[in-house]
Amino acid sequence: MTLLDLPSTRAEAWRWADLGSLSAAAALASIAAPEAEFLDLPGAKLLFIDGKLDEARSDLHRVTITDLTADDHALGRHARGLGWSLHLATQGVADPVQIVHVATGRENHLPSEIVLAEDAAATVVESFVGAGWQNRFMRTRLAKGARLMRAVRLLQPAGFVSLREAAEVGEAASLVTTFLGAGGQGSRIDAQLTMAGQGAFVEYGGALLTSAEQKQECAVRVNHAQPNGASRQVWRAVAADRSQVSLAAAVEVARHAQKTDGEQSLRGLLLDRTATVNLKPELEIFADDVKCAHGATVGELDRGAMFYMQSRGIPPERAKAMLTRAFVADALERIGNESIRDAFEADADAWLETAL
Amino acid sequence: MLQITNLHAEIAGTPILKGLTLTVNAGEIHAIMGPNGAGKSTLGYVIGGRPGYEVTEGSITFNGQDLLELAPNERAAAGVFLGFQYPVEIPGVSNVQFLREALNAQRTNRSEKPLSGAEFLKLAREEARKLEMDVEMLKRPVNVGFSGGEKKRNEMVQMGIIDPSFAILDETDSGLDIDALRIVGDGINRIMRRPDKAVMLITHYQRLLDYVRPDFVHVLADGRITRSGGAELAHQLEREGYTEIAA
Repeated sequence: MTLLDLPSTRAEAWRWADLGSLSAAAALASIAAPEAEFLDLPGAKLLFIDGKLDEARSDLHRVTITDLTADDHALGRHARGLGWSLHLATQGVADPVQIVHVATGRENHLPSEIVLAEDAAATVVESFVGAGWQNRFMRTRLAKGARLMRAVRLLQPAGFVSLREAAEVGEAASLVTTFLGAGGQGSRIDAQLTMAGQGAFVEYGGALLTSAEQKQECAVRVNHAQPNGASRQVWRAVAADRSQVSLAAAVEVARHAQKTDGEQSLRGLLLDRTATVNLKPELEIFADDVKCAHGATVGELDRGAMFYMQSRGIPPERAKAMLTRAFVADALERIGNESIRDAFEADADAWLETAL
Repeated sequence: MLQITNLHAEIAGTPILKGLTLTVNAGEIHAIMGPNGAGKSTLGYVIGGRPGYEVTEGSITFNGQDLLELAPNERAAAGVFLGFQYPVEIPGVSNVQFLREALNAQRTNRSEKPLSGAEFLKLAREEARKLEMDVEMLKRPVNVGFSGGEKKRNEMVQMGIIDPSFAILDETDSGLDIDALRIVGDGINRIMRRPDKAVMLITHYQRLLDYVRPDFVHVLADGRITRSGGAELAHQLEREGYTEIAA
């Protein structure tokens, strides 16, 4: 793929995209594969090295490897062919599915799919490590009453991770997805979530932490296509040095999607005045009986709180870390599984230790 | 213990303290009273080291150490506690986490062993009980959703846990009802009324001084101490107001 295949930053949805980083990431020299650390959870453990399953070190359980198509998204369409797929039948419940994506340089592309039948429930946690450009496509289909909890962490020290997500959430189904960007890589999370059934619920957000010259961004569009749906987008951005986080979160409410309840909370924290946080909440509402709230704020650490903590003996670096951790906490506390939540919080703490 | 000499301080170029001199010895409780805008809170903040308050002249020494050379956390580690008039709310940081960090940071600074979680919880619960504060409030975010009185009681719990050698209490009596005033007053006496400790009570009113009897009362007006006396001076101020006495 060349940069010519990608949209220009003059296109509104790509205005903050760091497209140059893709080719730079794809040109990274090969490295030895880092250790793939799985959390201590039962269930499937999949290890992908440069987009290919390492069968010897994987345990698929109910996950299959199959040929998958992608949508026509500018990045997502490159991820097609053999990928992983989780299908659960009615009322099926799988143990947590863990997937570690390791990159050893250059670029790799991988499609995936989660299809849950009526009242099925699944938990999926993905981690990205290594260096290079990892490009992923994820299609999710949730039937009536299905529940999916996903947690995705980006921990590559270098390179780029691009994620294209397309989801259809059925009647009374629930999709909860939390991201943590706490590596040194660039990233773009690009999502189109359609609430295709009445009373669907979507919670989609996370924390993106950047330092040095790093850039991370997300562009999420939630489409309320049916009545009585509820969506929550809670994003927290923390930017240090000369780094940049960009968050664009849009909610569309169709004309007949009455009683929609949508909420977007986009908040940025600048640890240095040379850093940048771009926020763009967007509402397109065609129904007349809806509740949609959006808030977007960018600020610095509260000086009063900093002094209060120091006056009690807490050193300034530690006070800064505690306040920053508190800032991102409400994005991470939405992870339902305690072990996964603890791991994500530890990753955020590790980032704070090095960045502050 | 604390020696303030010819202290001049300003905020954003506006002089607030204009030559304040005061000595506080171990075992003493000093009350600082005075009209609004006289510089009482500024005095507390300058001693605590709040950014934005610039000392242009004079000195503050604490146990022979130049306090103005120290960062706010180092002043705390040296034994100075600043009780805030308006304690800050810190969402997302629990009281327990905050207090344990504070105490252990100070203990580390004094080359003492940090307390374990269990040891700390025992100490925190005991202190909350003594100040009749609901133990559940220790789990809540620092001061978030607390009433004015609860915030002040929380300040006293912090003081009890940290156990400083010198406390500046800035209008700790504001926002307290009569029962809370008695509990807070008893707390100050219990924690700080010791031969090796000292207190500077900044207050507008006599009422806290009924519970915490000061050894000295000072009138602070227009940035300097204009009059000093014993506990009876507070009664005189209550009767006659500041206008005559502070002039």
